[in-house]
Amino acid sequence: MEISIKGLNKNYYSEGKTIKALDQVDLTIPANRIFTLLGPSGCGKTTLLRCIVGLEMPDSGEIAIGDEVVFSTEKGIYVPPDRRGLGMVFQTYAIWPHMNVFDNVAYPLQTRGERKEVIIEKVAKTLHFVQLDGFEKRPATKLSGGQQQRVALARALVAEPKVILFDEPLSNLDAKLREETRKELRAFLTELKITAVYVTHDRIEALSLSDTVAVMKSGRIIELGTPWEIYFDSDRRFVADFIGRANFIEGKVSISEDSFTLIDSAIGVIACEKKTKAAPGAAVIVCIRPEFIRVLKGDHKVGRNIFRGRVESLVFVGDAYEGEIRVGETLLIFRIEPTTAVREGEEIALHFDPRHCSILLN
Amino acid sequence: MQKTRTGLTPGLIAIVGFLTVCPVVMLILGSFSEGLGAFGTFTLSKYVKAYTDPAFAEIIVNTVIFTIGSALVATILALFLAYLNTRTNIPFKFMFRIISLIPMMVPHILFAVSWVLLLNPSNGMINLFFRQFFGWEGAALNIYTLQGMILVEGLLDLPIAYLVIAPAMSAFDVALEESSKVCGASNLRTLVRITLPVLRPAILAAATLVIVRSLASFAVPSVIGMPGRIYVLATHIYRVVATGYVTDYGMAAAVGMSALAASITLIFLYRHLTREGEKYVTISSRGYRPSVVDLKGARYPFFGIVALLSFVLIVLPVLVLFYTSVVPYSMVPSVKAFAMMSWKHWIAVLKDPVSLLSLKNSLYLGVGGATLGIILSFFVAYVIVKVRSKASGFLESLSFLSFSFPGIVVGIGFMWFFVQTPLYATIWALLIGYIATYLPYGIRPLTSAFVQIHSHLEESSRVCGGGPLYTMRRIVIPLLVPGIVSGWILMATMFVRELSLSVVLSRPGTEVLAVQILRFAEDGLWGRLSALGIIMIFISTALVVSASWIGVRLTKGEK
Repeated sequence: MEISIKGLNKNYYSEGKTIKALDQVDLTIPANRIFTLLGPSGCGKTTLLRCIVGLEMPDSGEIAIGDEVVFSTEKGIYVPPDRRGLGMVFQTYAIWPHMNVFDNVAYPLQTRGERKEVIIEKVAKTLHFVQLDGFEKRPATKLSGGQQQRVALARALVAEPKVILFDEPLSNLDAKLREETRKELRAFLTELKITAVYVTHDRIEALSLSDTVAVMKSGRIIELGTPWEIYFDSDRRFVADFIGRANFIEGKVSISEDSFTLIDSAIGVIACEKKTKAAPGAAVIVCIRPEFIRVLKGDHKVGRNIFRGRVESLVFVGDAYEGEIRVGETLLIFRIEPTTAVREGEEIALHFDPRHCSILLN
Repeated sequence: MQKTRTGLTPGLIAIVGFLTVCPVVMLILGSFSEGLGAFGTFTLSKYVKAYTDPAFAEIIVNTVIFTIGSALVATILALFLAYLNTRTNIPFKFMFRIISLIPMMVPHILFAVSWVLLLNPSNGMINLFFRQFFGWEGAALNIYTLQGMILVEGLLDLPIAYLVIAPAMSAFDVALEESSKVCGASNLRTLVRITLPVLRPAILAAATLVIVRSLASFAVPSVIGMPGRIYVLATHIYRVVATGYVTDYGMAAAVGMSALAASITLIFLYRHLTREGEKYVTISSRGYRPSVVDLKGARYPFFGIVALLSFVLIVLPVLVLFYTSVVPYSMVPSVKAFAMMSWKHWIAVLKDPVSLLSLKNSLYLGVGGATLGIILSFFVAYVIVKVRSKASGFLESLSFLSFSFPGIVVGIGFMWFFVQTPLYATIWALLIGYIATYLPYGIRPLTSAFVQIHSHLEESSRVCGGGPLYTMRRIVIPLLVPGIVSGWILMATMFVRELSLSVVLSRPGTEVLAVQILRFAEDGLWGRLSALGIIMIFISTALVVSASWIGVRLTKGEK
């Protein structure tokens, strides 16, 4: 079911200051896809989620889930969370400690007054789906973090909601479990074909889980696209920086050719394959991710996008070497194959892949 | 919602503020006034009279020896028990839970009385035994001494000290000790240089708390100290207002000021120490268990000590009281004594109108007072935990202000207030005084219960389709029940046994159990005292058992 949000505003007041948690947010969340709200803490992503689910009351605007308007200041509509028919997984899982697994999962059905046999059947089915068969009688708080997380998921799914929402559900798990659970979650959600809204500040989670990512900053959605588009084609420095490690090199547009744009920068002329709206002479920033800087062995290489520099530092991180190269005054981070024979202090040539040099507007 | 909340906080601040600040303000006013009832002109004469009394220096010395002595006894015993429980493989560890909880059911005054019955110089059972079987002249042991007071008070405060030290001991990071041993230190050196210093804040906090408690203690100084003419601050205040021909509430207030000042200072010290302790004690998330010291052959001897201690703390007082209640006069248990047993004292108590009245009053105050108190605590805890504004922070400090104010001093303060109102000499005066003094006992368990209810627990119920009332019934209340029940039990048992506040506020017609027992003790009616005492223990136990039962029913009944 599609969620459409129009002109949503929400302010917080704290110690005499007004904080815009949501600033005129317009958004359409497509049906039956995994949609992620990504941003640093305090960007308003959780507030937006809580407004959709009804735990938070926006100051103005309209929210519709499917055809039903659940909130509108204009029409004076506010449907409380218990009438919205959604499912949600909380950051803390919010497993009720005084109930066992069965009662936790059965709860949404009990609130709807379902018959006992139906409840038992549906709970068993859902627990089977999240691979917790036979856990019904266990006290919920005695489960491991990953299992609790799946109980929370089962509870959110059991009543077959129109939309399921996730508020940083993996942030309480340790790194290895987080990776496993992420893959599981992806599999569950793909199988279900359900509209899922997922809030996270973890870029890897956002990239690997979502069909669509919305990047938020200071209460606004500043970029919307597929994970691929967000990672490679963003034209905002904030997004490029937030979504991954990157080098930013300031420069000026010199020539705009058909297939290349040439940028004058402190380290020399950089050729970018991406087009830019910027006219010649305009100040821009070239963004190149460390994995797209290649190290060339041999002394006399010259050519387009080839620069000379000195390896300032080199750290072996297992699957790669990460390090810094100084080109003139500019320090660039790079990442190369662990088998490449490069030493600290060595003078080397490096090459920027023009397909992955993006031009950001300054 | 927003409106009721904003109204709730100031309302609670007004109520709690009245309850805690009123006695203090009235005490200060009273200490500068001429006489109860009419404040008269400002005068320093009460202070002059109180502090130039030649006997006063001795009272201060007695108080210092008594409080510090009790703190030493209680802390050393608690340290010993906590170490045995958390760090050794001593058998039957459930005993420690009993030791730390059960003594709350035996009122302090009865505990003190049972020691008097055993060790008083004229007809204490142990002394009689020595006289009868060894032909010793006079008294072998005399409880009516400062040492006697210290021993009994120390035993009484042992559970409190244990409850402070044991958690610190079990949270102790053994790696600290292990690394000391790796560095080449011996076991003893490790104990002295590492273990005890790291636990020092907890140990000092426990000792401070016991000092505060024994400073406020009235049962032991009145039952054991007064017959031996050993006066401490609390009994000195009592002597000024309750005995002699001329009662002087102004002078009592002037003396009370120093007791109050001392306890406030000590409570600040205690709070500082507990914060310090939190800084020291590292609780690792790994969930390791402290390594256990194998006591080997000493397991059972050590257990014997623990068993003896629990016998002395729990079984002995009840046995002695019951025995005394059925024999006609003090005698060593013998065939003759068993032949002479009768229900004479029980019948006398049950026919005594004042005893019956005190029974009724205490029961009423226990049940009614605890219920009112817990309702107030519920709202206060709600505001402290869930509202979280500057005002709620203020409410929090206000509500813990009265923690361990000496009851008799609070009583004197309230006396100055109630005299001005129609509440004087009514049961309502006692009720208000009780709730004011014991409010922290209700708020503590409820705040921790509220803290446990993360807002997500309520919110997820809402998202799951539960309305506000449904959420309240199925989520909030069941999670709060344990806190409500333990708060209620704590308050009710405190109220049923309340002595130090009651000796000041209770008037003819509003007698309560503990005061009636004190009267029996003063008159030497040990048989009746014991019968009434057993009834009192029975009531406390019945309250605890029934409240827990209701709690269990409520938690289960939510399905």
